[in-house]
Amino acid sequence: MENKILDINKLNVDYLTERSSINAVRDFSMHINENEIFGLVGESGSGKSTVIKSILRILPAPGVITKGEIRYNNQDILEFDESKLSSLRWSHISVVKQKALNSLNPLLKIKEQIIDTMQAHEQIRTKDAIQRCNALMDLVEIDRNYLNSYPHELSGGMRQRVVIAIALALKPKLIIMDEPTTALDVVIEKEIILKILDLKSQLGFSLLFITHDLNLILGFADRVGVMLEGELVDIDSAEIIKSGGNNAYTKKLINSIPDLSNYNQSKTNKNEPELIHVKNLIKSYSRHSSIFSSDKFHAVDGVSFNVNKNEIVGLVGESGSGKSTISKILTKLIDFDGGQLLFNGEDVSGITKSKDLLAYRKKVQMIFQDPFASLNSIHTVYHHLSRPILIHRLYNKHSKKERDEMVLKESIDILKEVNLSPPEEFLYKFPHEMSGGERQRIALARALLVQPQIIIADEPTSMLDMSIRMEILDLLKSLQAKKGISILFITHDIASACYLSNRLIVLKNGKIVDSGVVSEMINNPKDKYSKLLIDSCESGWFINQ
Amino acid sequence: MNRTWYNRIWINNKARLGIIIVSIFIIIAAIGPIFFEDPNAYIDTPLLEPSFVHLFGTTGQGQDVFAQTIAGARSTLFIGFGTGILVVLLGLIVGSLSGYFGRRVDNVLSLIINIFLLMPGLPLMVIIAAWLPPGPFSIMGVLVFTGWAWNARVLRSQVLSLRERDFVNASVVSGESNIKVIIYQIWPQMLSLIMASFIGATVYAIGAQVGLEFLGLGDVDKVTWGNNLYWATNDLALLTGSWWTFVPTGLCIALVSFGLTLINYGIDEISNPRLLSERIVKSRLPNLFNRNGSTPVARKLFGK
Repeated sequence: MENKILDINKLNVDYLTERSSINAVRDFSMHINENEIFGLVGESGSGKSTVIKSILRILPAPGVITKGEIRYNNQDILEFDESKLSSLRWSHISVVKQKALNSLNPLLKIKEQIIDTMQAHEQIRTKDAIQRCNALMDLVEIDRNYLNSYPHELSGGMRQRVVIAIALALKPKLIIMDEPTTALDVVIEKEIILKILDLKSQLGFSLLFITHDLNLILGFADRVGVMLEGELVDIDSAEIIKSGGNNAYTKKLINSIPDLSNYNQSKTNKNEPELIHVKNLIKSYSRHSSIFSSDKFHAVDGVSFNVNKNEIVGLVGESGSGKSTISKILTKLIDFDGGQLLFNGEDVSGITKSKDLLAYRKKVQMIFQDPFASLNSIHTVYHHLSRPILIHRLYNKHSKKERDEMVLKESIDILKEVNLSPPEEFLYKFPHEMSGGERQRIALARALLVQPQIIIADEPTSMLDMSIRMEILDLLKSLQAKKGISILFITHDIASACYLSNRLIVLKNGKIVDSGVVSEMINNPKDKYSKLLIDSCESGWFINQ
Repeated sequence: MNRTWYNRIWINNKARLGIIIVSIFIIIAAIGPIFFEDPNAYIDTPLLEPSFVHLFGTTGQGQDVFAQTIAGARSTLFIGFGTGILVVLLGLIVGSLSGYFGRRVDNVLSLIINIFLLMPGLPLMVIIAAWLPPGPFSIMGVLVFTGWAWNARVLRSQVLSLRERDFVNASVVSGESNIKVIIYQIWPQMLSLIMASFIGATVYAIGAQVGLEFLGLGDVDKVTWGNNLYWATNDLALLTGSWWTFVPTGLCIALVSFGLTLINYGIDEISNPRLLSERIVKSRLPNLFNRNGSTPVARKLFGK
């Protein structure tokens, strides 16, 4: 029998409200053995973060632990007082968070931050601390000179290594990693995961790895737990989870792991005319490096592509690749610094008059990433749908009553088209009364009501749970075919891009590195980066190379 | 979450108490003066102490202090709330245009805002008030002129952040005109800040107006709270020990400001979820809550 380093027994966490409470985590039981990697998987809102914050007792109000035990080395953490808790935190259990930039203080040098951590928990002379800093930097393979740098001078991957070094500073027995690689691109993700595994074999600690990426965690965890709506619905060894687990939900998650074999094989008609043509697009932001100088940072650096009529083009790139900037340029939300934007062969680069802009927006619509943020929380669905109708149809001749009737009829028709039923009921709902998938359907309906020729979809599925993604992708696909519009599908997820699109464009650091028909891209990627993107859809991809 | 905002304000104890206090004064200001023919009339011997005949006693001129306190509420609150509305309206319009359109519009408007912020408010206020013909509208004008910039600055930064939100972008993309985006999409989202600014501006206006009138810069023939204090000092209230000539008015000013501040606290609690959730845990688990402490464990309370 192995030694349990952490043993959670029937943990219950409530969020108190004025009169009652919401049971956010229910009867959560699991344990982590010494030297084990435990993966905790769940969609957003499933209670993963609540559990890890409860382990460290850092869950803010109105969170309250109401039942259960959390045993660390056989001592119940829930009975610790403040001083015992502060000696537990970091010396025994440390945390690596998702956004390295948020965990580091921008005003302190890397060295000072590591020493701060050590001196908060141990009595150690600065001279000795510096020596340990050097050793830590060697451990995470960062040049010692960077100890005197500030966080912003390091790249994303290096920052995350520094955060890992700080987590290791006091040699804890258990490290909790909360989506440590989600904000990084696949190349860096691979490096970091390999580094973590290497450190673990050198130093011997247990790892609680939290992620929503089942594919990633199955590649290296010993055991995996699956959370759904505050409950641990499945827990087993990684092999058993991989083969479908013990629960219908696990099976659903496993099936929703992106699968490139299911790509869009339909060929586009070569004779379709060009709709949007972008020539050598440049957009730069100035970045202040000191008070006296600023250098230009090219978010989009000479990008040229076209989207034809009746075609879905997937624009694939990771955070920072410039894909959102392109979407905002195409919808005229921001200006660009160089290049040309042609629509139906007409140069629309410099249009500024509100009449021209309105005419352009009649043809080009957009769906945003976060359906909660793109709907105004104080307005009903009816308001969101009625505005585009009233703006773009010439209903002014009609009386108010007739106009209202027409708006109502069109709203109900469009709700039927995006499969929201019964439509009459949805009409008067507020955004917070709907699920993420329903909200995104409303956002799609709003865009469709304008009757555009092209829809720019900026990561329309990335904020949705995996199980709902497919439904939205299928809806987009069927509506595109029915209405004969074009879609520029912008995403970081190459698998959904392959599923939906006819053609792919791969973007990295503001430049196009690869493009082509989907089948060609999958079987024969020309660029090293796009090959890695394609490979990352396979399980254990970061090791088998 | 489903409650409307006024409902949420009403269930907040602080805000409710504040609303009650302020409402009482508004009612007094509205109907009180009807009962007194002329609060300036000389009705009795000067400097009588409070009694059943004259509840708050008489002034150094033999006027009824109770009548003057009630009558003073109308003009003071009118100028206070009127200035509050105008200050916020001006700040909202300038701040919104500046924050929404950015670039050159922002540069010009921000410059104007900054110039007004840099002007020394109090001396300017005194000089302009002395120069203008005395009267309530002059005072209102002075207060708006010297007070709008701060609100414009605060509201501008809120517009600036809301302008980047996706629902605003979505509205722009669907073809909505800029003015409609500001009015229908952005303003409703910053209602609590607008309310808070309005209340802050009103408190400022009441204080500053009383101050100006106390210095004799208002129309001294009118009955207002500021003038009540002006006449009390003129009649050497402190030397003669006639405290009743200034305490009632002073208390009223303090109470109105207190009520308004309570409403502001309430709005703050409602719009800042962290304050709200801390208050909930504190009231439900009084022994376990510690603002800087660890997550409370309440196993006994909720049963094993």
